[in-house]
Amino acid sequence: MNEYDSPDTATEAAPIGETSTDTVVAASAAGGDERLAYRSVFQRLFVRPEVGGLIGAAGIWIFFWAASGTFGTVGQTFTWLDTAATLGIMAVAVSMLMIGGEFDLSSGAMTGAMGMLIIYLVKETGELGGLGFPMLIAIPLSLVVALCIGYLNGFMVERTGQPSFIITLGTFFALIGLKLGLSKRFVGQIQIGRTDEASDFDFFRPIFAAEWARNDHPFELRDFFYISIFAAGIIIVLLAVCELWFQRADERKPIGLVDFIVGLGLGIAAAIALHLTDGVGVNAAIAVLMAVAVFLGMYGWVRWRYEPIENRGSVALDERMRKFLGLGFGLVVLGAVVAVLIDSSSTHEFFFPFTTQGIRVILLLAFTTAGMALIAMASQAALSSSPATKGAVTSVLALAIAVVAALTFIDSEAAKFRASLFSVLLFGAVIVFVWGFVVSRFVERRVKSASADHLGGRMLILGIVSIFIGLAFRMMFITEAELLAEVPPAKTSIRLFWFVAFTATMMWILARTRFGSWTFAVGGNKEAARQVGVPAARTKTQLFMLVSVAAWFVGLLVAFRINSIQSNAGDGQEFFFIIAAVVGGTLLTGGYGTAFGGAIGACIMSMPLAGISAARWNTDWRFLIIGVILLLAVVSNKYLRNRAEAIRR
Amino acid sequence: MSDQPLLQLDNVSKFYGSITALTGVSTSVAAGEVTCVLGDNGAGKSTFIKILAGVHQQTEGTIRLAGEKVTFDSPRDALANGIATVYQDLAMVPMMSVWRNFFLGSEPTKGIGPLKWIDTKEAKRIAKDEMAKMGIDIRDTEQPVGTLSGGERQSVAIARAGYFGAKVLILDEPTSALGVKQSGVVLKRIVEARNQGLAVIFITHNPRHAYPVGNQFLILNRGRSMGSFGKDEIDVNDLTRLMSGGAELEALEHELRDSGATS
Repeated sequence: MNEYDSPDTATEAAPIGETSTDTVVAASAAGGDERLAYRSVFQRLFVRPEVGGLIGAAGIWIFFWAASGTFGTVGQTFTWLDTAATLGIMAVAVSMLMIGGEFDLSSGAMTGAMGMLIIYLVKETGELGGLGFPMLIAIPLSLVVALCIGYLNGFMVERTGQPSFIITLGTFFALIGLKLGLSKRFVGQIQIGRTDEASDFDFFRPIFAAEWARNDHPFELRDFFYISIFAAGIIIVLLAVCELWFQRADERKPIGLVDFIVGLGLGIAAAIALHLTDGVGVNAAIAVLMAVAVFLGMYGWVRWRYEPIENRGSVALDERMRKFLGLGFGLVVLGAVVAVLIDSSSTHEFFFPFTTQGIRVILLLAFTTAGMALIAMASQAALSSSPATKGAVTSVLALAIAVVAALTFIDSEAAKFRASLFSVLLFGAVIVFVWGFVVSRFVERRVKSASADHLGGRMLILGIVSIFIGLAFRMMFITEAELLAEVPPAKTSIRLFWFVAFTATMMWILARTRFGSWTFAVGGNKEAARQVGVPAARTKTQLFMLVSVAAWFVGLLVAFRINSIQSNAGDGQEFFFIIAAVVGGTLLTGGYGTAFGGAIGACIMSMPLAGISAARWNTDWRFLIIGVILLLAVVSNKYLRNRAEAIRR
Repeated sequence: MSDQPLLQLDNVSKFYGSITALTGVSTSVAAGEVTCVLGDNGAGKSTFIKILAGVHQQTEGTIRLAGEKVTFDSPRDALANGIATVYQDLAMVPMMSVWRNFFLGSEPTKGIGPLKWIDTKEAKRIAKDEMAKMGIDIRDTEQPVGTLSGGERQSVAIARAGYFGAKVLILDEPTSALGVKQSGVVLKRIVEARNQGLAVIFITHNPRHAYPVGNQFLILNRGRSMGSFGKDEIDVNDLTRLMSGGAELEALEHELRDSGATS
């Protein structure tokens, strides 16, 4: 139940003034059903299974970005994205199988087996075996074999009624045995190569292994495009959030639109000025200008479209809020002190396996996150109190972010890239502050509005897509200045494209097709699905076949990338696929999850690998990190799901 | 009401080996009428449902659907003949949304050639409309069925059966797990379904739920039919007495009243 409907909220709200209580009552009356608290778009967003994964991915990225000097550079990003691509295609397929309520332990070994099969089919005939087929025959032929293995898995699971865990464990060992035995029998060794002996290798290579070298593509206007598209994306996201958050006014105030345009113009002018000038003093002045621009723009927009609060009440922090705010702010400051005290230039190992720098980052992040969490709890408590209180609490949050920003600025002598962290945090602080200001002055929407939800949702997607296009722009091209500064070469491959395309297709299939619906149904309640006429056995078998086709495709990609494959390739990877799916929010027991979550999970799994080496820690510790991530993900997903359920009721 | 009953059972019996589950049951249900099947635990209600739903086949006796002699070999067969059963534990997937559950297994599709996708807009609209016809305003068809109340879930199941062309609707104890208000909601749905021209077989062990909605009452006790009555031939108290096998309950009632007076 939403706090707004609880009786004690009403008594708390009483001293604020009658108008605000009236609005709440009127709003819930307009909503039609008083039992159903309005679920804001954001509450509904948290119901989605992959949100926990997204937050986790952002957290891990920030952690390694802060802990190392090179993680977050274009080259490093492409490195982990490439790992994520092959892992992710499998993780997405495995997610779907798990939504359908089954496991496939043979999926890892199958990727290697498929790669080996393809190479064996195309390698030259001669003393070391090989059939010498062209790819044109080998690709469909190996696909047929993959489909057969998937069918066999599904058939056995359905016929015996035994858990797929045990059945596919059998397939797993059978495949390992076949890989070893057959490769020794036919090629005389446990490694098989080479893909490029196929007669039409050159034709297929661009399709499965095309690479794009960033350093070969200088583009002087890159930053212009990147910054414009990226900034436009952020602005659209902010406006979308406003659209989703506030109650539309009956009559619009054009004066607000003027403010908005002035703010926008000021922002653009400041950005251009920042580009043209240099020097700390000037930068500070421009930063202030930017903050004013953000304030004017956002306030103007909201003033134009949305309903103002008539009586904001006064700031009334209760005992709990004061405690949370004080403690939270104290912790953030403590984090700052720790970070300043521990020498940032030291690189010696302080405590195995971490460097001093690592300890510093961990302490800093631990303190600041705990502090921020406490402040967030205070704002949670402030949700049900007067608008003025809400504004005050949000301002403290903004202040805390600004402290962290200032702290990283002190640091920025140690590593130049932290200067960008400073600007990001400062920008965040400004946004949070303006947000607090606006929220305390305009009416939050508490009723369902299809048109606002629709418009806001579309804007949100548009904004996020723009942000990613901007980032992609930055990653694909290089500028003359970077070339001169000898930025290390970075390569991306078509595997990334296949990963995105596969994930998008599977998302569509899950959301929009009968097969997708049936996948959820057979995983959620197989008997019920069967009773209403869903072909449950067929759906499950098709899911097993989907996984084996994904394994075939990954085998193909790997065969093209590394040219020769060891017979143990892929063995044990199935656990990574399952972990990625679970981290992405898919329920082990089936019936719940998304394909997108699997993709996010794959990114989470591959980031630590690149991050640990970028931070110069001992890479042996990656499994520990992956294990901890899995445990954290399971716990937090459960927590999020419980909260989501609580909101629904 | 109508001259010919839609579904007619004559002397239907079922034996599991030497065990007699049901003997000599005769009843009928016409379109736009509700036949209530009443019985205490172990009276043979489940066997009765399973025969009609095609899970089991009767050992003796005949079932006539619109005058024709039929036997249902499987649940699908019964469904294809327009006999939809809403089980107590409901054929629903709790984590899926209302509209997906509504259309599960028969989703409306659109698309080009073999590439077909669900017409989600249409599906949501139909689900909402059908529920509205039943008198339920589903606020958000994206809501998972698991978050609906028991009565609402029954209503989704009933609306679904009606939409997919059921002629006979069999409800297995739809009110047994529900509170007073929720039971009222479900009873209202039964009346709605009846008014839409469905033949409803309502299985329950609560005569107070059955009496207000029923046209015919079949009473089962320990596998035997205690008779099939029209509404004008019987009242609630008679129903209760017949269900329990008569005298025993009256004795119990006296006993309870006495102990209540002394304490």
